[in-house]
Amino acid sequence: MSMAKAMAWMGAALFLAVAAAQAQWLAVTNAQARIASVEMGGPVLALDYELQDVEASADGPAWVFITARWPGRPDWEALPAAWLRGNGHGLITSPGKKRSYAWGLSEHGWPEKAPPEIRIRALRMRRIPGGVFDQLSLPGGGRDAAYGEVGQARLSTFWMSRHEITVGQYVDYLNEVGGSGAGWNPSMTNAIRCGIERGAGGAYAAMPGRANHPVTYVSWYDAQAFLAWCGLRLPTEAEWEKALRGGHFLDGDDTRRQANPMPKRPFPWGIEPPNEGGVHRCNYEGDADGFAQTASVGSFAKFDSPYGISDLVGNVAEWTLDWYTTSYHAQLDGFRMIRGGSCLDPAEACDAVSGSTRLPIKESGITGFRGVWAGPQPPNGR
Amino acid sequence: MGEGRKSCGMNTRPVLSRRQFVKTSTGLAASMAMVASQRVWGANDRVVFGFMGVGGRGSYLLQAFAKRSDVEVAYVCDVDTRRFANAREAVEEAQGRAPKTTQDFRRILEDKSVDVLVNATPDHWHALGTILACQAGKDVYVEKPLAHNPWEGRQMVAAARKYQRVVQVGTQSRSASYLREAAEAIRAGKLGEVQLVRVFNMMEHPRRKPGTTQPVPAGLDYGLWCGPAPLMPYDPGRRWLDQWEFSCGAIAGDAVHQLDLARYLIGDMPYPDTVVQAGGVNVLKDGREIPDTQIATFEYGKLTLVLDGALWAPYMKKTPMAVRDTDEMPNWPFNATRIEVLGTRGMMYYGRHGDGWQVFGPDAESAHTGVGRQSDAEHQDNFIACVKSRKQPTSDVEQGHYSTLLCHLANISYRVGNRKLAWDAKTESFRDAPDANAYLRRTYRAPWIVPETV
Repeated sequence: MSMAKAMAWMGAALFLAVAAAQAQWLAVTNAQARIASVEMGGPVLALDYELQDVEASADGPAWVFITARWPGRPDWEALPAAWLRGNGHGLITSPGKKRSYAWGLSEHGWPEKAPPEIRIRALRMRRIPGGVFDQLSLPGGGRDAAYGEVGQARLSTFWMSRHEITVGQYVDYLNEVGGSGAGWNPSMTNAIRCGIERGAGGAYAAMPGRANHPVTYVSWYDAQAFLAWCGLRLPTEAEWEKALRGGHFLDGDDTRRQANPMPKRPFPWGIEPPNEGGVHRCNYEGDADGFAQTASVGSFAKFDSPYGISDLVGNVAEWTLDWYTTSYHAQLDGFRMIRGGSCLDPAEACDAVSGSTRLPIKESGITGFRGVWAGPQPPNGR
Repeated sequence: MGEGRKSCGMNTRPVLSRRQFVKTSTGLAASMAMVASQRVWGANDRVVFGFMGVGGRGSYLLQAFAKRSDVEVAYVCDVDTRRFANAREAVEEAQGRAPKTTQDFRRILEDKSVDVLVNATPDHWHALGTILACQAGKDVYVEKPLAHNPWEGRQMVAAARKYQRVVQVGTQSRSASYLREAAEAIRAGKLGEVQLVRVFNMMEHPRRKPGTTQPVPAGLDYGLWCGPAPLMPYDPGRRWLDQWEFSCGAIAGDAVHQLDLARYLIGDMPYPDTVVQAGGVNVLKDGREIPDTQIATFEYGKLTLVLDGALWAPYMKKTPMAVRDTDEMPNWPFNATRIEVLGTRGMMYYGRHGDGWQVFGPDAESAHTGVGRQSDAEHQDNFIACVKSRKQPTSDVEQGHYSTLLCHLANISYRVGNRKLAWDAKTESFRDAPDANAYLRRTYRAPWIVPETV
C-alpha cells in the first residue's frame, strides 16, 4: 500500500468519526478499503472497520450500509448489500472488527486498480420478532376515524430503527447526495421545527442544537429516498403498530416464552395516557412535557415500546408505506398514511391507532419518519 | 313554512326562452338587497375567521383561506382533537402564529372579534351551525349540500335574511366566468329551446367494511358530533355519508355541484313541479341506507332535468388534473361529472372542473366552445368581497337551498318507494303525500334543535 493510499483511507476514517458524532450514526472507526487479487473472481474490494457499539445485540443490532466514491467518479455510490459478503454490512449484532468483500467491480463500471473512498454508517435498529399481534386500527383508514377495528395480524420478523431519523443524519445524506438540492426544501430552515441550512455551494449544516432532533419537512418521497440510500424502507402501518404494541409473545411465536402483558396496549409503555398522574411520557402538545416543539430523539427513552423503540408516539408523526384507502378521494389522490401524533397533538392523539393522511408530495413540520428492514434471514448473505 | 320568501313563479315554466331568462335574472337582482355590516372595513383590514370542522374539506378550506393576506384564522374547531395538530400547523405555516383550538364551536360564536364562521361539518350540522352563527352576527361560508333536509335549508335562508348575514355556500363552481359565458350562449338561443338537462355524477366508491360498536376514543366529543342527530352507539365503521341521520348521501354531496350549475344554466328556477327517483342500494350492499344508484327525474313544466347518479361506475372519471384548467376538453362520454343541456337546435356539454363547454349543432358539428378554469379562488374572493361590501355572494344561501332541494326531493321519492311526487312551491311541501312530507324535516335532539323562528 502506498503512503498516498494510506493517507486517503485515514482521511476517510477521520471524516467518518466526525460525521458519526454529528449525525447520530453509531460510531465506526478504522474504516479501510483495499483491493486484493484472488484466484478466479477477479479483483475484490475488502472493507474493514470497527463497530464501536457495545450495545449491539441480536435484539438491538446496528444496520450498516456503505457508500463509496471511486477514483475518477464524482458521486458517492451505494455498495448494494446483495453485492457484499462478510460480516460487515446489514444487521450487525456485536461490536468489534468487521469485514465485508465485494467482487465484480467492473460490472458496476467501478475501477479495479485503486480503492474508493468509503463511508460506513451504522444505525441502531430494534428487532421485532415474527408472530401474531392485535391490530386495532383499520389500515388505510386514516381520517375516517377507523379506530377500534379489532383484528389479528401476523408479521414475519422485521427490524425498525430505534429513533426517528434525525436532522444530523439527514444533513449527512444531503451532503452526500443532495448537491443539486434534491431532498431539501427551504422550509427545513425553520429553526424550531427542523433546522437545516444550505450554504453557498450547496453544503448543508444542522443549526446549533438541532442535529439530534427528528428531521421534518420531508415529503413521503424524500423519506423513501433517504431510506433507499440506507437500504431500508418506510414501515407499513401494521409494522408500525406492532412495533408500538408488541406481539402476543414479545419473543415471537417461534419460542413463545415471553407473553406480552398488555397486547392491546394503546401506548408504547402501556395503558396510562401520556400525561396521567403528572408524568409526561412523550412529547405531546404544549410544554408541560418539557418541549414546546420537537425534542431530541430518545428524550423519553424510559417510555419506549416493548421492543425498545423510542418516540413512536409524540415528537413528530411518521410517514408509513401505506396508502389511504377508505374514501373516494383517497383513490383519486394517492394519500399516504401517517401515524403516531406529534408535539402539536393533544396527548390522547399520541396513541397506537390515531392516524392522519397527507398527499405524499406534501411536507410538514410535524412529520418525520423512521426506517425498517424486513429482509430474509440471515440478513447479509453470510 | 316559507312565509315571506321570494317566489320567482317560474317553476311551471315549460321551456326556457331568452325573455324568460331575463325575467329570472331581474327577479334575482331585485332580491339582492344590501345586507348590514357590523363594522366598517378598511382596505387593509383582515377578516377574522373561525373554522368549524377541519376534516378533509375543512382542511382544504383552512389552508386556502389561511394563505390569504386579507384573512386571519383565529380559531380551529373540531369535535376530534386529533385534527388539531395538522390544522394548527397549516395556520402557523401560513400566518406565522397559531390559532386557538376548541372542540366547541360556540367558543367561536362568543368571540366578538370573529367575523366569519366556516362550517365544513357533516351535513347534519350545516343548518344549526349556520343559524347560530347568523344569530351571533357572523357571516358564514358553509359547505354543500346546504342542509340535511328541506325545512332546515329554508330556516337557514331565513336566518341569513333576518340577521343580514352573508352566507356563501361551497358550490365554488358557480363562480367560474365560463359558467356565465355558457349561460349567455343558451340565453342567446344557441341551443334553441332547452328541453332536457342531464346531470351526471358517476363515481366508484369502495364497499365499506362493517364496523362494531366501540368505546368513544378520548379526545372525541361524540355527543357533540352527533349534535342534532340521535346519539347512536359509537361505531367507527359507520360512514356518516351513507346514513340518513347524518347525510344526504355521497351522490348528493357531489352532484349538488352539477345540479347547482345546471340550475344556473337554465335560469336558476327555484323549484321543479315533480320528482321521481329510480334506483336504490343496488350494488354496495354493505349496510348503507342511502342509494348507490340515483336516477332522478325533475319536471320543470316541459323542461326535464335528469340526474344520473351512481357509486359503482369505474369507467366514469372526473376530469383528470392534467385536463383541468387547460384549453383541452374532457373525454365527454366518460366524464363522470358532465352536464348536458339539450335544445331543439343544439346540445351543450358543460364540465365543472375548469373544463369549459362545447355546443354541438344539428349535424353534430362543434359549433361553439368555451374554455374554463376552476374557480375556487374566485369563490373565496367573492366571499371576502361580500363580507366587506355586504352584497349577496355568488352562491347565496337561497340558491344553495334550491340546488340542495333537488337532492332532498330525489331522496324523499326513494324513501317513499321511488314514487312520483308533486311539489308545491308555495308551501315547500309535496302535494297530497303526507308520507313524503314526513321527510321534509327531521326530529332534532335537544339541545341541538333548529328553531321554528330563527
